[in-house]
Amino acid sequence: MNEEIDESEFYHQDFTTASEWEVFMARIEEIINQWRVDDKRNDSVTDVESIWDIKTEKLNFAEEQFYLYLYSKRINEDAALDDKGPKNPIDTLHDFELYDENHIEYHSCLSTWYGLDKFIVLSPVSNNGIVNESKIKVLLSSIYVVEGNLVTSENSIPLFVQIREKWQRLYLGVFASDVIRTNFEMVHLKKGLPYCNYLSGLLDLFKTKIASPCVLENIIVSAQLTYTLTEFGGFVWKQDLLQQNYDIESLFLLPFGVTVDPISSIILKATWNHLPDNLVLDSENYTDFDPTAAMNWSLLINSTNNPVCLMADAMTEFLQNLTNTSTIYDILGDFATLPSSENNPLDLLTEPAVPAISRLLTRTARQSLTRNKRSNPPLSETMLVPMLYFLFPDADEKSSFPYGREEREHTESLSQAQFKNLDEEFKGFKTCSSDSLIWRLSIILSHCLQSLGGLRAFAHVWYEFVQEMRYRWEKSMPIPGLSPGLPDLRTCLLNQKLQMLNCCIDRKIARENALVNFDSAENSSTDDEEFFDCSEKIVEEKAKEKLSLWNQPVGRLSKFGNLKLIKTGDPLYIPVTQEPVLKTEDQLEEDTDVLLQLGSNAEAMELRARIMSASLLSDMESFKAANPGSAIEDFIRWYSPRDWIEDEDKLDEWGQKAGHLSPRMLIEDNIWSEMWLSAKPVPAHRQKRLFDDTREAEKVLQFLDLRSVSQICELVIPVLSHAAIYRLMEECESLASDLAEFPAKLSNLIRKGEVLTRESKPQPRRFEGLIHEASALEMLVSQMNSLHYKLNPSRSANGEINDVVVALAMGKEVRVENKSKSDIGNRIVSMFGEAQRMSSLMAGEQFDEAGRGTVNNAFPVPTAKEFVLRTNAVKPAVYSAKCPQFMRAILSKEEFRLCGAWSEDTVFF
Amino acid sequence: MDEDILTTLKILIIGESGVGKSSLLLRFTEDNFDPEQTLTIGVDFKTKKLNIDGSLVKLAIWDTAGQERFRTLTPSYYRDAQGAILVFDVSSYATFAKLEMWLNELETYSTKNDIVKMVVGNKIDVDKREVSREEAMRFAKRHHTLYIEASAKTKDGVQAAFEELVHKIIQTPNLWESYALNNIHLGSKDHPNQSSCAGYCSLV
Ligand SMILES: Nc1nc2c(ncn2[C@@H]2O[C@H](COP(=O)(O)OP(=O)(O)OP(=O)(O)O)[C@@H](O)[C@H]2O)c(=O)[nH]1
Ligand SMILES: [Mg+2]
Repeated sequence: MNEEIDESEFYHQDFTTASEWEVFMARIEEIINQWRVDDKRNDSVTDVESIWDIKTEKLNFAEEQFYLYLYSKRINEDAALDDKGPKNPIDTLHDFELYDENHIEYHSCLSTWYGLDKFIVLSPVSNNGIVNESKIKVLLSSIYVVEGNLVTSENSIPLFVQIREKWQRLYLGVFASDVIRTNFEMVHLKKGLPYCNYLSGLLDLFKTKIASPCVLENIIVSAQLTYTLTEFGGFVWKQDLLQQNYDIESLFLLPFGVTVDPISSIILKATWNHLPDNLVLDSENYTDFDPTAAMNWSLLINSTNNPVCLMADAMTEFLQNLTNTSTIYDILGDFATLPSSENNPLDLLTEPAVPAISRLLTRTARQSLTRNKRSNPPLSETMLVPMLYFLFPDADEKSSFPYGREEREHTESLSQAQFKNLDEEFKGFKTCSSDSLIWRLSIILSHCLQSLGGLRAFAHVWYEFVQEMRYRWEKSMPIPGLSPGLPDLRTCLLNQKLQMLNCCIDRKIARENALVNFDSAENSSTDDEEFFDCSEKIVEEKAKEKLSLWNQPVGRLSKFGNLKLIKTGDPLYIPVTQEPVLKTEDQLEEDTDVLLQLGSNAEAMELRARIMSASLLSDMESFKAANPGSAIEDFIRWYSPRDWIEDEDKLDEWGQKAGHLSPRMLIEDNIWSEMWLSAKPVPAHRQKRLFDDTREAEKVLQFLDLRSVSQICELVIPVLSHAAIYRLMEECESLASDLAEFPAKLSNLIRKGEVLTRESKPQPRRFEGLIHEASALEMLVSQMNSLHYKLNPSRSANGEINDVVVALAMGKEVRVENKSKSDIGNRIVSMFGEAQRMSSLMAGEQFDEAGRGTVNNAFPVPTAKEFVLRTNAVKPAVYSAKCPQFMRAILSKEEFRLCGAWSEDTVFF
Repeated sequence: MDEDILTTLKILIIGESGVGKSSLLLRFTEDNFDPEQTLTIGVDFKTKKLNIDGSLVKLAIWDTAGQERFRTLTPSYYRDAQGAILVFDVSSYATFAKLEMWLNELETYSTKNDIVKMVVGNKIDVDKREVSREEAMRFAKRHHTLYIEASAKTKDGVQAAFEELVHKIIQTPNLWESYALNNIHLGSKDHPNQSSCAGYCSLV
């Protein structure tokens, strides 16, 4: 065993670096002493997550850099009190501890192997490790000297040095107290020695190595056999990508889950603790170690490495396309053409007068007919049509997925959940409401990008979507799945754009209706493209008789209380006014920039006021038209009543309270009076439109049409993130197990998503971070689903199984109480049995019905065996005190490892 | 000089027509009172640099029209504001009663979650007062806003109001630094930062 280094050898070497060496050792001692001082102060509360408190210092020696680590386990107070005085650190009952992924640190294997709670490791910084034999010797002698110098009666700490290649996890170490010295030695080989494969051989080795001059007392043996289940037969849990002939329903949800079973293996460990060596036999021909008779069972899982998490993967596709500047037309090639202004004559011929169920169908069919000649569409009609029906369920009266239904179901089913109201959690998201049009669009687009044809399918759906938007505008049909009203600045830009388009469509419809009424009422023709049309039917008053023809009142909405015009005494009418101007946030930003660029001096102020006074002028003109003979005082009384100051107890000639304008209205040449003078009496429907819905709608359509792939991704990513987190929450909710960490993890995710959606443009780094976290959760949820499916296929309510699933998914090893007699144990046995049966069938072995009834045969050959041997031995001389001896043997396919700790009396020898 | 600017803040002034929003702004930016201030049309803005604890902060203050007819236009300018001054006229109860509506408007259209709000009772120089300080302070407390009384005419409280508001914004780094990851607080819309709860009254 090449790792054993003869201590006597190095004293004869010529240390030309002696002085440097001394400095090195002095430095180690210095660091350790400093740690001891710090320890007494006990003020280090660093990473509370880990059970390990790790201190590090860097140091140099012989052109090599080293880290010196102090590992101390955070032990709870009670356990610490149990310690009765100083004791050799290996003089314990430690054999196998339950594995916990979260407690693993780089050097914590030393604790796992030897049961140490506190130790110091010297480890090279470089990944090459220390392979040079003489270097190893120098280092080993260093730690021997240092440990010797630091001996105290109370708190000596074992000191290790890591040698050879780092992946080998090979250490040599020493522990010295004032009465005892323990050498830690290790062997690591790719393959074990044949005689060491069984306990019998290991016991021999152990005894030989102790080499006590006296008869040994009993050796205490612990053993652990590991069985690995990798074939789950019918209990594989995985999600497949959508295929060509997918199930319609799967389109409605974001892809979710992993494409391979997230559990690569289930590991059963059968353990025997602390048996005297004369009571157990384990040799090539016979073994007492039957897993069914083990003292303890425990379970552990291995996760699949980097599986494809479908939802995270779909999001990643969007991330990657954030740099793709090609346009939809670049991608679709001659399949699609930029829209031309002239209408396709086919539209008029085949369009049914009343929107019918088949409207969409006929339309898409028609389009593909005309285009087939050029090239094949990326998405076939059979795929595209269901997508369009999903996005535009109003095309089918009997649609099974109209907008605004899902929400109600959710709030009912989740009423008792941790997250009381999902939509409430997402209040701060600048996106759109759940299951609205854009929400669905983001889901469809991610399916396309991921599995239904990639970028071309993505482009095709977007193209069809934009075509539909144009169609709806042209045919004056409202767009479904949008919250009604003005563009809502709290939603994402894409949502605002569509709301804008919907408003334009509404106004167009209103205008068309008004036109019909107006025509029939007055039989006059108006140029509806140029002028604003009020939806009101214009009712002329009898009063017009009094007025000359050119001065007839028009555009009256209603009387304004009992107010009378100051000059004429006629009732004051509120005019019909133009509808407000609508803007989306990008347009507002442009406006703001214009205003800002004007600066802040007086002229700029004036100019800004003029820019913004278009609606004021329009209102004044409408007012004048509705109130012939009116004065600015009349207008102000309606428009800004606070600027009309009534005189106490004074009535004018018409019997109403007299008053005057406020001082700020009386300023000479103020913009209000100027404008009043220039305003002509023109009713709203005759005025130039302040908001040209035709132009604005065209702007929206152009905006949608000319988006590049990256711009589409920018528009969709906020909504996609929202939908993804929403989906994750639902998945967490529907799990049979509650994971205490879920709410915190999800809240964290929601916070990140909220920040992302509120940025003017989603930042790739932030989105990437979000995907990363979402994918970890997606994996965790999938693992838990997989475990439930495997361990509890009948899905019976079982609290025990729930707890086990949670622990396993968190990377912990869990004890199986009652072993094969428990529900879980029983399931494990039958899964192993099934896997065994399958593999022997595959190997063509005859299946012997009679002989295979016992549980015993259910288990395959163990994948690993581990033994721990302990005893106390008189060493080095017959009159020495008894000292603890320890050896651990790990035998697996990958490695053969012996970890020994040999002690001897340093007082009497 | 420009390099020393710590940050640029967007501040809004809202409230009923005629309560003195434009006058407050004029007083603050030009230390002037113009009784012949015209009724604001749409929005207007002024800039001013303010020295807060040794660092220079640039303010872009947006003055909005209180007039109902312009109300469809003005909320668009609420975007990205870090602070809002809600003004009422202490000599007109009606303008105070409307504050609730203005707060709602702000909640609806402001894009920052923890926008700092300040209620300013203006025109304290006027003799016939209709809104008591106690009542106004109760309102401020209930809505977790700052409160200060001022007069654009006599200059009282104006400088203090703006400074106090900017101070509070600077203490809420979320508002003026670019969003730091993990740094925004969920639901702070409903539960504003405790720190901004204190009602503040300058005794003028
Ligand atoms: N006495 C007194 N009058 C004031 C004070 N502040 C403003 N005023 C007067 O109140 C009137 C309205 O003031 P503005 O500043 O124009 O009011 P506003 O809030 O900007 O009004 P809108 O622009 O319509 O929203 C003006 O005539 C001012 O002179 C004040 O502190 N005291
Ligand atoms: Mg004003």
